[in-house]
Amino acid sequence: MTGDSGLLSPIIIGLLYGGLYAMIALGLSMVFGVMRLINLAHGDLVILGSYLSFTLWSYLGFDPIVSLILTIPVLFGLGFVIQQYLMRRAFAISAEAPLIIAFGISLILQNFNQIIWQPQSRGISTTYSMASFNIGPAQFPVSYLLDFVVALVVMLVLREFLRRTYMGRAITAASQDNKAAQLMGVNTRMIYGFAFAIAMISAAIAGTFLGMTFPFTPLSGTQFLIIAFGVVIIGGLGSLFGTFLGGLILGLVQTLAGYFFGAAAQMFFVYLAVLIVLAIRPQGLLGVKR
Amino acid sequence: MSIIRKRLTPEVIIAAVLLVLLVILPVVNAPRAWILYVLLFLIYLAMANMWNLIAGYSGLISLAQPAFIGLAGYALALSTWVNIPWWAGLLGGAAIAGLFAFLMSFAVFRLSGVYFSIGTLVIPEALRILFNNWRPIDAPLTGGGAGYMIKNLGGLDMSNIYWMALAVAIISIVIIRIVLRSDLGLGLAAIRDNERAAASCGVNTFRIKMYPFIISAVVTGLAGAVFYIYQGYIEPQSTFNVNWTMAILLSTVIGGLRTEGGPIVGSIVFVVLYFLLSRYAGYSLLVQGVILIVIMLLSPQGLVGLAQKARVYTRFMNFLGKPILTGKK
Amino acid sequence: MAQEALLKVNSIDVFHGSFQALWNISLEVRKGEMLALIGANTSGKSTLLDTISGLNHPAGGSIQFEGRNITNLDPYKIVDAGITQIPEGRRIFPDMSVLSNLIMGSYTPRARSKREENLKKVYRHFPILLKRKNQVAKTLSGGEQQMLVIGRGLMSEPKLMMIDEMSLGLAPIIINEIFRTLKEIRDTGLTIIFVEQNVRKSIQEADRAYILENGRVSLCGTSQELCEEEKVRKAYFGI
Repeated sequence: MTGDSGLLSPIIIGLLYGGLYAMIALGLSMVFGVMRLINLAHGDLVILGSYLSFTLWSYLGFDPIVSLILTIPVLFGLGFVIQQYLMRRAFAISAEAPLIIAFGISLILQNFNQIIWQPQSRGISTTYSMASFNIGPAQFPVSYLLDFVVALVVMLVLREFLRRTYMGRAITAASQDNKAAQLMGVNTRMIYGFAFAIAMISAAIAGTFLGMTFPFTPLSGTQFLIIAFGVVIIGGLGSLFGTFLGGLILGLVQTLAGYFFGAAAQMFFVYLAVLIVLAIRPQGLLGVKR
Repeated sequence: MSIIRKRLTPEVIIAAVLLVLLVILPVVNAPRAWILYVLLFLIYLAMANMWNLIAGYSGLISLAQPAFIGLAGYALALSTWVNIPWWAGLLGGAAIAGLFAFLMSFAVFRLSGVYFSIGTLVIPEALRILFNNWRPIDAPLTGGGAGYMIKNLGGLDMSNIYWMALAVAIISIVIIRIVLRSDLGLGLAAIRDNERAAASCGVNTFRIKMYPFIISAVVTGLAGAVFYIYQGYIEPQSTFNVNWTMAILLSTVIGGLRTEGGPIVGSIVFVVLYFLLSRYAGYSLLVQGVILIVIMLLSPQGLVGLAQKARVYTRFMNFLGKPILTGKK
Repeated sequence: MAQEALLKVNSIDVFHGSFQALWNISLEVRKGEMLALIGANTSGKSTLLDTISGLNHPAGGSIQFEGRNITNLDPYKIVDAGITQIPEGRRIFPDMSVLSNLIMGSYTPRARSKREENLKKVYRHFPILLKRKNQVAKTLSGGEQQMLVIGRGLMSEPKLMMIDEMSLGLAPIIINEIFRTLKEIRDTGLTIIFVEQNVRKSIQEADRAYILENGRVSLCGTSQELCEEEKVRKAYFGI
């Protein structure tokens, strides 16, 4: 995909990946920030979204973006059921129950995806996502740019929503101080539901675009969970800008590692980066201290 | 004479009988399948006991177990290629797993809750990529993958492997017994309940968490290496794999987290389950996941917890000479 | 000053898990008064406020507000009914601006319609908040943060405002200033309960007071009565 353009190519690609990563992390950040809900299954839910888009595209010829009309409600419904009937109960049981149950859900989803769609890797390639554009001597797939733009748009929309609407402010407030928010008259149960809806919608969008960008397998969920978590850790909870930055950083780590150490080593360095950040600054580079 | 009388509680007698039965199993020409089942049971038991130690009793829900299993297994496998005797490789592997846990703890112990769990999740994933691409010792590949055969196991037959697994399982039970009755156990319980309060009581929380973490890594690694001696080869995809984690979690949770008998019951059930599901390999993780969730929701203390609610249990325990204090948590 | 009871707490028992925090508490808040709840740290003052606010529900007894039974309502409904608590610890929303904090105060539908009007009122009572309206809340000084949370409480159009441990960590001069403003606010028709450890100050500023000890009401009366009460003098004033 590139002529020899040296570092230019990996840097640009890394930045573009970053947008997608930020979008994947968005759902996790929202849910964890507001509800302290642990969702080990987030990556697998996103991949499920990818598979749903894939199916609608390969069997019914739906354009993936159009298929969002269907995938969003499905993921939202599934997420709602998981939250309402499994996770809520889990919290009341013990400290470790939510983690263990989320782990179970994650594996169920992985196996489910494998049964239905077989273990081989899949990808969605539409005419526009396969097209490429040039920056300097290098060529890049349009899908990467699309990811970045969509991620930016989603982030900005969300930011305005959080800042300007009462519901959005309530979500922000509840994530900063739950008791105080309740004393302002915020119905926190309803707020949780809303935050969760946002998380699932963004997971659906992320899944669709992921499908157009990378090949994915039923087991890809773990990889993207770690990436999403890394993004949130680096960027810090509660900061949309930070999440975006976190995505960019991890994207760059990945592509630069690939450039210097070979494609097989990419994810290894991403994981290493996540561990290092976890070790030095669990609260992130930009975010609020928890 | 009276001292012996006191120590010879029904519990001890039963345990001794079971032990003898287990030991002589290979010698009395039991069917090979049985030996295999019990072998797996022993390995899962050891790992479950160790996971119970860190997750149940210390509150560290670690998803890094495959890392220790794999590191010990690889250390063993690689050592057989450089003419180090297998038993040295075995012990060395366990030691390496322990060392790795020690180093890891600096990275992950500052984290709590889900941060900790995901931090531990990253490690086996990273190791898998590492071993997929790095061949420390040039050796003929097995079936095109990145694995290694395990050599120089001449003289080791199934019975020997079986007895090794038995030894590891017994070690794990002894360790649990000792830790729980020690000051360390008390400190762990305190940390699990309220880490800040424990710290303010002068408990060195970091060190207290680290000891069981390392112990668990060593024994888990040991058990894993024994498994790979049995299997005869090792490769990264199936080694640094969440299948191990699920097996260990189920073996512990089905029986009951935070109960001494839990891992034993759980491992038995898991091995049975494993063989029932072996025909449906494609669905096994799904079924296991469902069972995990159902148990956590319906009976978080597992089968042992369920039994504890029955009066039969109290009477059984009294018979064994272990009266239960009522009003316990 | 009107004599009707705005809030009536009738013999409530409140538990934290299996631990009993309040025993058979009864009290009455009259419309338009400044009522003080006095007691040491373990006396259960905050638990009482949380229970009135609906964050905790009593195991026995009842709570009535304006004649309506509010005992088991959700917290957000109680705010809607007109009771606002300013919790202890100056719980601002640290990463939101002063203005955003204040706007959050007017979250309930009833308060939303009067947002602009209430904002002006708050700025009149606390001009410093107008000056710092775009600043991030966590950068304010202790006294300013306290004013912010009181202002935020005012935004919710309360009929009864309960303030928990307002003066912790504040300089006496600021405390006096805030109390002065509270009196102004009270004079516009708001009823105020405040919880304090500083007994002298409380008796000084309040019309009536309840003294809580170990989860029980041990004394109650007007400031005058309490000053003369032997027990109070011995225990708190060392006379």
